Amino acid sequence: MASVNSLRCLVRPAMAPRIQPIMLAAASFSTSTVLAAAAPPAIKSRRDLPAKQKKTYKKRANLAPVRKPNPGERKAFRKRIQLSNNSALSVEGLGALEANSMAQDENAGKVFSIPDHVVDQLRALEAFKTTQSWNLFRRPHVLLRKETVELMKKLETSVDKKEAVKCVLTGSKLSGKSMTMLQAMAYALLNNWVVFHVPEGQDLTNGNTEYSPIPDTEPMQFAQPVYCLKLIQNLYRANRAVLEKLQLQKDWSRFTNLKQGATLADLALSAKEAEYAWPTLQALWTELTLPGRPPVLFALDGLAHINKVSEYRDPSFKEVHAHELSLVRTFVDALSGKTPLPNGGAIIGATSENNSQHHPSQELVLTQLEAGQAGRRVPKPNPYERKYDERVYEALKNSWVLRVDGVSKEEARSLMEYWGASGLVRNVLNSRTVSEKWTVGGHGIVGEMERATLLQMRM
Amino acid sequence: MTTLTNGLRQLRCSSQLARAQWRQPVLARSSFQFGIRSLTTESSTPEQPAFPESSPVSVPFQGVKHARAVPVTPSYFSREPQFNDLYIRISRLLTKYHHLPTLPASETPQTPWVKLDEMRSKLGEPVKASHFAKVMRVAKRLNLIEPSLFPQEVKVALDDFKRDINPFSNVPSVGVVDKHGRAVGVGKRKESTARAWVVEGNGEVQINGKTLSQAFGRVHDRESAIWALQATERLDKYNVWALVEGGGTTGQAEALTLAVAKALIIHEPALKTALRKAGCITRDPRTVERKKHGHVKARKMPAWVKR
Repeated sequence: MASVNSLRCLVRPAMAPRIQPIMLAAASFSTSTVLAAAAPPAIKSRRDLPAKQKKTYKKRANLAPVRKPNPGERKAFRKRIQLSNNSALSVEGLGALEANSMAQDENAGKVFSIPDHVVDQLRALEAFKTTQSWNLFRRPHVLLRKETVELMKKLETSVDKKEAVKCVLTGSKLSGKSMTMLQAMAYALLNNWVVFHVPEGQDLTNGNTEYSPIPDTEPMQFAQPVYCLKLIQNLYRANRAVLEKLQLQKDWSRFTNLKQGATLADLALSAKEAEYAWPTLQALWTELTLPGRPPVLFALDGLAHINKVSEYRDPSFKEVHAHELSLVRTFVDALSGKTPLPNGGAIIGATSENNSQHHPSQELVLTQLEAGQAGRRVPKPNPYERKYDERVYEALKNSWVLRVDGVSKEEARSLMEYWGASGLVRNVLNSRTVSEKWTVGGHGIVGEMERATLLQMRM
Repeated sequence: MTTLTNGLRQLRCSSQLARAQWRQPVLARSSFQFGIRSLTTESSTPEQPAFPESSPVSVPFQGVKHARAVPVTPSYFSREPQFNDLYIRISRLLTKYHHLPTLPASETPQTPWVKLDEMRSKLGEPVKASHFAKVMRVAKRLNLIEPSLFPQEVKVALDDFKRDINPFSNVPSVGVVDKHGRAVGVGKRKESTARAWVVEGNGEVQINGKTLSQAFGRVHDRESAIWALQATERLDKYNVWALVEGGGTTGQAEALTLAVAKALIIHEPALKTALRKAGCITRDPRTVERKKHGHVKARKMPAWVKR
C-alpha cells in the first residue's frame, strides 16, 4: 500500500483526490480576531512543549483584583436617595398636593403625589430620608393623615395671625414624624414660604463638623461654618424662586459687597466660603424675620440631640451646651418664642425614637405639655432625678406637642390600596387583610406596617 | 385454670358445702328392711342406738371444729389464692345477680380497669394472662348492670378490679366567658408562660401593656403571637390583652400562640379543629437539653488531648 501511495506522489493522479474540507473565507459569525482563532504554534521539538507547571494548592491572596471603592463612595451609596422605581406600577388617579388642599379636612386619609418641582426642592433640603422606602414606588406619594391636616391648619392660621407655630412632633418609632415634617415642608414650599431644614440634629452636636467661637459673645457662642455654608446652599437651591423676589432691607456690607437692590438670593450666593457662612446665615435669618417677608418654616429632626451638652469644648476645655451653638440657638430661640416671627410661619422639631438617648428633661417637658393640652393632670418631675436641664424646659415650654402615632384603619386602607396599585401587595386587599396588617404594625404604625407588608421576603 | 378448677372441685356438689367437713355418722336407715339379707345372726329387732340419744357426738378435741385443719380459703392449695378468691367472689356475685338488666357496653361509663401487670404486682402472684382475661370478662359483665339497680356488694367487689386513680376523671376544666366577655387562656413554650385574655373587639393587641410592634421586634414573632387569630381569620373580631413572662422572644411569642388559641376556643369551640391544623393546640414539648457531666454542654465533649 505504501508503495502505491508513494508512486501516487510521483505520477499524475489517475483518479480524483480525496475531498478535503475547504475553508471558505465566508462571512464569519465570530467577532473575535483572526489571531485568536489561529491555531497554536506547531510543536517542533521538546522545547516547544508547554512547561510542566507545579500545582499549588495554596490560595493566592488576591486572585481577581477587586476595585476598592474610593473614599466616600460607600457612604454615598449608603446615603443615596432613590425616589423612583421603574419596576413599580405607576398609580393613576391620585391627586397632587396643592397649596390649599393640604389643610382641608376632607382630604384626610387620602394619598397624594408630591409635585415634581416640590420633590426637587425637598431633595435639596434633604427632607427625604434613607430609612423611608421611596425606592419601592414609581413616584413619591404621601398619605395625608388626620394629624397632618391638623398641623397644616395651624400653619394656615399662623400666616393670618402673624404668629409662628411652635410645634414638637413626637410619637413612637417609625410612626411617621419625619414624614409629617416632610409634608409640612411640602406645604410651605407650595405656599412660597422659605424653608430651613436641619435633617439631623445630631450632625450639629456630635462634634463632627467644624466649629469656631463667635467673637464678642458672653458666654461664648460657637458657629459651625461648614455646616452653615451647606445649609445656605441647600436653602438657596430649595427656595431660590422666593429669595430672588426679596430685596435686601438692611446693610450687610460688613462682609459682602452687594450692591443696592440685591436680593436675598444674592446674599445667599455671596457666601462662597465657610468663613462668612454664619454671618450670612444670620443675615438671611434677620432679613426673613423682618415684617412683610414671606413666612419661614424652620424644621429640625432629632430634637434630643440639640437639647443636650454637645461634644464640643470651649477654649478652657469645658463642655459646650448645644444651645451655645449659634445655629442651634437660632432654632431654639425661635421655638421658645424668644425671637418672634412677625410674618407667621412655623418652627417644627421632631423627636427621634431610634436615634436618641434617654433624655429625662425633654421627656418630662413633652409629657407635661401633652398632659396640659389634653387637660390631664400634669406629671411632676422625678425628685430623685438630678439631670434635669432648665434650658431644655425654657426651650420647649411654649411649644405645641403633636403626637404622631398609628394611623386609623381607614387611613391604613387607603395607604394599602396605594401599595396594591403600585403592585407591591400580592394577596387580596380587603378589610380583613388591612386589619391584620394594622394589628401586626402595632395599631397602625406606618413604618411597621410597611415592614410587615412590603419588606418581608414572602415568596 | 386447672388449679383453679381443682380448688373449686369441692364446690361442684353443693350439698357438700353445707355439711360439716369431718366424717359424720351415716344416719341409720330405718330398720324396716325388706328382703335384705342380713349377716347378723341376731334378730333384727329395733336396737338401742350405739350412743345414747341424750349425749351428742363428742369431738375428741375441745374447741376444734374440724377434724383436720381446713384452709381458710378454698383456694389455699392453688398457686394464686388471692386471685382465686377474687374470682370466686365475683363469679358467685354473677350467679346471684345474673338476672338484673344490663346496659349495652357502649353506654356504660368508662371504667379504669386494672391492667395485668398491676394486678400481678398488687397481689404478688404470678397471674396468668389467660386467667386474668377470663376474670376480667366476668368483672366486665357485672359492670354492665343497669346503674340504678347496681347492688352495693357488686360495687365493692368490682373495686378490686379498678385502678386506684381514675384517669377518665381527669378532664380539663372548661373555660367560660366571664361577665365582662373575657376568656382567658394559658400557653407555654420553652421557658415562657403566657396568659391571654381575649374579648370581642376590633383587632387591638396589647402584650404586657405594649403594642405588638413594641413587644416583638421581629415581624415573624409578631405574626406567631397572633397566629391563632390570623389562621382562623378572626384577627379583626377580637382584642387580646396578654401577659407573658420568662424565656426569650421566640418562646414568648409561641407561648402566646397557645394562650390566644385556648382563649379563642372558649369563645368559639368549633374552631378547635381549625386551630389544631394551624398548630395552635399542641404544646411544643421541646426544651433545652440538660447538661451532662463529662460533657461541656449537653452533647459536646471536651477536646481530645493527647496526653
